[in-house]
Amino acid sequence: MRVHKSPIARLADVATYVAAVPIAAFFLIPLVWLGSLAVRTPQEIFLGASRFIPENPTLDNFTRVLTDSGFLVYLGNALKLSALGGAGAVLVAAPAAYAFSRLRFRGRGTLMTAILAVQMVSGLVILIPLYRYMGRLGLIDTHTGVVAIYVAIGLPISVWLLKNAFDGVPMVLEEAAAIDGYNRFETFLKVTLPLAAPGIASALIINMILNWSQFLVPFIMLTADSKWPISVAIYNYAGSTTASTTQLLAAACLVTIVPAIVAFLLLQRAIVSALTAGAVKG
Amino acid sequence: MTSSSSSVSADAVPRPDAKAGLMGQAQSHPLPWLMPVIVVIGAFYLYPILDALRLAFTNASLTGGEEVYSLAALRAVLTNPALPTVLGNTAIFTAASVVGQMLLGLGIALLVVRGERNSLPGMLVLRTIVLAAWVVPGVANGVIWSMLFSEAPFGAINSTLGLMGIAPVSWLSSPQNAMISVIIANIWQGTAFSMIVIYAALKGIDETLYEAAAVDGALPWERFAFITLPQIKVALLINAILITIQTLNTFDAVISLTGGGPGRATEVLSLFTYNTVFNNFDLAGGSVLSIVLLVIALALAGLYALFLPRGEK
Repeated sequence: MRVHKSPIARLADVATYVAAVPIAAFFLIPLVWLGSLAVRTPQEIFLGASRFIPENPTLDNFTRVLTDSGFLVYLGNALKLSALGGAGAVLVAAPAAYAFSRLRFRGRGTLMTAILAVQMVSGLVILIPLYRYMGRLGLIDTHTGVVAIYVAIGLPISVWLLKNAFDGVPMVLEEAAAIDGYNRFETFLKVTLPLAAPGIASALIINMILNWSQFLVPFIMLTADSKWPISVAIYNYAGSTTASTTQLLAAACLVTIVPAIVAFLLLQRAIVSALTAGAVKG
Repeated sequence: MTSSSSSVSADAVPRPDAKAGLMGQAQSHPLPWLMPVIVVIGAFYLYPILDALRLAFTNASLTGGEEVYSLAALRAVLTNPALPTVLGNTAIFTAASVVGQMLLGLGIALLVVRGERNSLPGMLVLRTIVLAAWVVPGVANGVIWSMLFSEAPFGAINSTLGLMGIAPVSWLSSPQNAMISVIIANIWQGTAFSMIVIYAALKGIDETLYEAAAVDGALPWERFAFITLPQIKVALLINAILITIQTLNTFDAVISLTGGGPGRATEVLSLFTYNTVFNNFDLAGGSVLSIVLLVIALALAGLYALFLPRGEK
């Protein structure tokens, strides 16, 4: 179906692309350059931009980074910490999100704003005292300590994402369940939660992506390199590489970002709608 | 805390059966539902913040030792000659990042919405590319841009400039350029957030407003100034609050791109705080700085909130 357009509308379409292409380039080129470095041989690194497309592309860099430099372990650690931290945050947030979605009580709006405001607190502010408690509890250099802090950090956004997810579940279904003799907690478990499953999954994935990026918490809490997630590993690796090993650093960096980008691409629609649900109403 | 009965409307029939609805049930009291969140926020936010306040008035050190209350840390931090530099860096870094992210985010959101409305292909691709940068971990962001800004002859940008016959630029070794480089890297990563918030706000605008404007013969810039901007004002303000605080707290991208250098040229408050605690083991001084960070964040958030229309929500 062809829509007839006026010359001015066509000109505006052209202008849209004239603006869109450089923007796309600005955001894409750093990642493409990283890809180009990651498949180069050391010799081709020194050719800079003139060898943007390597003549002898190689996957050796990835093999070396994953096996020799232990990035497989770091990937595993990152996955474990992200998943447990995300699941914990969703678990703790769910009942409160349900209350904010379904119950009417005094101070509801204020409390919701307060929980969101907690997000303004820099990780550094809480980490300085937390570091000492964790030390007393013997949780420094443990994944348990890191996961506990991830749960706390992921909580505010989880409450908001889950509240939006629960808002989308029709009230009629819960009322029907109540008539069938379900109490509120049973309704929550057996009706609301399953029906909000897509929203809950988005909240979990968003938490995992944010945890994957977490640097400060594991950087401060974990000293043993066998426990590092990939974000801490890449920072230390960057400090230990030189110009002649740039291709290895690029490969390690790509290994760090690809899981997050793939997770995002697969679930883009759900993630974007979860993130925008609040914004539209706001 | 209030009992759930207060939320049952007054004209409800006082039959026992009227409570067959969910509102009348015992589990409708909010407290049990809110308890897990309250406990975690109390233990991981409220108590640590209070403790940081307390530590700010001690001589606490990360290496241990006897703790006594004193104003020495406060005095030492506030008279530290590095503090004005660090606060200046933080102001420049935050202001430039926020303005850059808002403008670029607004521009991209307008483009994508316009493209979608005119069914131009490729808009989803543009949105996806911008969002991909957002999911890149902050540390990786610093590492990627350190390769791009590399001043070696084979560095990405400088070798490209070389191909065009342009002299290399000292992206990271010159203090002024290093700040610009850090800001560019931060805008690259952070813009997606603003884009998506503004995009959602734009999609929420009632189409009939534009139809009415078209009937009135409004010019494109008039539509933008008198419909679009007022309609997305709240979203813009909330977005400004969120990204200002995100930027103030940014730590990972800076430490991995410049480490705060050269000298202190890119040392922002969050990095300075980190260095105070974990490199100088000065727990008390770091606590003072972290409270300063928190106060600045709250003050800025409050400032923006003044512009929010009353009675929102």
